[in-house]
Amino acid sequence: MNLWAYTIRRLLLLIPTLLGLTLIVFILSHVSGNNVILAEYLSPKLTGAARAIATQALIARFHLNQPIYVQYFYWLNAILHGNWGYTNTAIYSGPVTTAIALFLPNTLMLSAVAAILIWIIGVRFGVYSAVNRDSVSDHALRVGSFTLYAMPIYLIGVALIIVLGVYLKVLPISGVVSPTMVSGLSWYVNGISYPTHIIIIDAMLHGAWGIALNAVIHLLLPAITLALAIVAGLIRILRSSMLEVLDQDYIRLARSKGLSERIVYNLHARKNALLPVITLFGLTVAGLLGGAVVVETIFNYPGIGYWTTQALLDSDVGGIMAATLLFGLILVVANLLVDLIYAFVDPRIRY
Amino acid sequence: MNQERAKRWDNTKLSIRVFLANRTALVGLIIVLIYVADALIMQFDPGLLGITQVNTLVPNFTNPVPLPPSWAHPFGTTFPGVDLYTSILKAIRIDLFYSILVVAVGSVAGAVIGVISATVGGLLDETVMRITDIFFSIPYLILALAIGFILGRSLMYMSLALALVWWPLYARYTRSQTLSTKEFTYVEAARASGVSRTRIMFRHILPNALPPVFIQISLDLGSIMVIFSTLAFIGFIANAKVPELGYLTSLGLNYVQTAPWAVIFPGVAITVFALAVNLLGDGLRDVIDPRRRS
Repeated sequence: MNLWAYTIRRLLLLIPTLLGLTLIVFILSHVSGNNVILAEYLSPKLTGAARAIATQALIARFHLNQPIYVQYFYWLNAILHGNWGYTNTAIYSGPVTTAIALFLPNTLMLSAVAAILIWIIGVRFGVYSAVNRDSVSDHALRVGSFTLYAMPIYLIGVALIIVLGVYLKVLPISGVVSPTMVSGLSWYVNGISYPTHIIIIDAMLHGAWGIALNAVIHLLLPAITLALAIVAGLIRILRSSMLEVLDQDYIRLARSKGLSERIVYNLHARKNALLPVITLFGLTVAGLLGGAVVVETIFNYPGIGYWTTQALLDSDVGGIMAATLLFGLILVVANLLVDLIYAFVDPRIRY
Repeated sequence: MNQERAKRWDNTKLSIRVFLANRTALVGLIIVLIYVADALIMQFDPGLLGITQVNTLVPNFTNPVPLPPSWAHPFGTTFPGVDLYTSILKAIRIDLFYSILVVAVGSVAGAVIGVISATVGGLLDETVMRITDIFFSIPYLILALAIGFILGRSLMYMSLALALVWWPLYARYTRSQTLSTKEFTYVEAARASGVSRTRIMFRHILPNALPPVFIQISLDLGSIMVIFSTLAFIGFIANAKVPELGYLTSLGLNYVQTAPWAVIFPGVAITVFALAVNLLGDGLRDVIDPRRRS
């Protein structure tokens, strides 16, 4: 099978997964009756008679008086047309799609920075630990990653807040930017920056370098927390994968040719040790998204995760359902990318 | 017969020796036992540790701001005037109970589905595997959050939601264990000597395929407890008086700048348990895996 045939096969497999994903979300929204769909799509701004009329219209539109499998297709149709209903929480009230447009960029920014940190820390320490096997620093790294692995992500966040934010006072512990810096700006209104909704990028677009720097500093603690929560697993797996590679014949050959240890590690061993790590990428994305919910809540960082917990606290059906669907979609796409990259890097997978 | 018994005893002795040789695993075991002992005392005789109301936190509204550790409050207090030492002792029982519930429900459901899927095979197997695929395509924290939200914000529903999210993992693991056990020569020998299919399944395959599955699952207890407390931390508990470690941590969150102990002690209590279970797991794996017995 060549790469194209594999890609097409993998894309076709996406269809049942996506249908299943929507089905799960749909079933969830029906466990406690039809009123959940109504709650999801009824605009919170309507009251009195207008609300009753809108309810009737929704019953007709989603065919809520027909069997549940009929309803599913009408609901799926609405979802596919970008109509994800309404959300009504303390931080945002309005269409779900607008809420996603406002909050998702922040989460993507946070996840991207965390992912870069994970890659830098993970690869460096994982390889170092394997190369200096059984040394004092290897043992220290193993104990450290073992402990991090067992820690709940909120404790990592709180510990960093206490050390870096409260005692050393080097990093701000809440929000995306210092409120005093952004008061009275035309492109930052009610905690929302325009046009990309990521304040770092917006500040740069408007040439406000001071604000951009301030926002970067605000991003550091949440990103480090998220990275530390996930990096422990990477270090452990990379270490054992690197040890396995270092035991291979071609490494022995490279050494017997008289190559320096540095060239052996960096040129021959590391690339192959990273192969199994690629499969971890999907898991990492899942960890980033799940972790983002907790981290954004602790640091009051206005992303999708913060919105999701607000929806939980405010009993907002639209927000919870949309978040489940959105996180699922992101993960499905991430897993697809992992499979394709892996097939590209390692031709054995395709057969 | 006697010889066989002696051989088995030798085997057990070797297992115990292998386990004891791993000091960290022993430490893990002791810590886990301390947590279990605490849970049992709380269940049957909380007065032993001077605790009266096991199922609720006792607030003190005349002095709600967190106080630092002292003789009266060894771990200090958290908002609203709740003593942390006794609350953590109470919370361990609740966390342990619901985590075990998650593992039990999730693993039994997963194991049954996995075994059936592996034995029947064909279309059913394919369908089950695709269903697990779909479950894996949603981050578990989010899915548990959504399911729990729909069912209702309580500890029982929260653990049910986690079990619902967790079974696909166990179904897959059980399935692959069953399938690989099926290929062993002794199973083939049984088949060749005319043993019936059901007898092979129950007498030859399952007794060998399931124990590693259940040991693996019990080792997940630490991670499950961490996730359970994380859900409680982000606001899953609607009842303000539930002694739960994640919830206890969240109570102190607004005071983190002035009262760090209020978030550190409950958080450390859960980390120590998860760490102990993981250490214990490493030791047990040495015992189970004959290749690591050298």
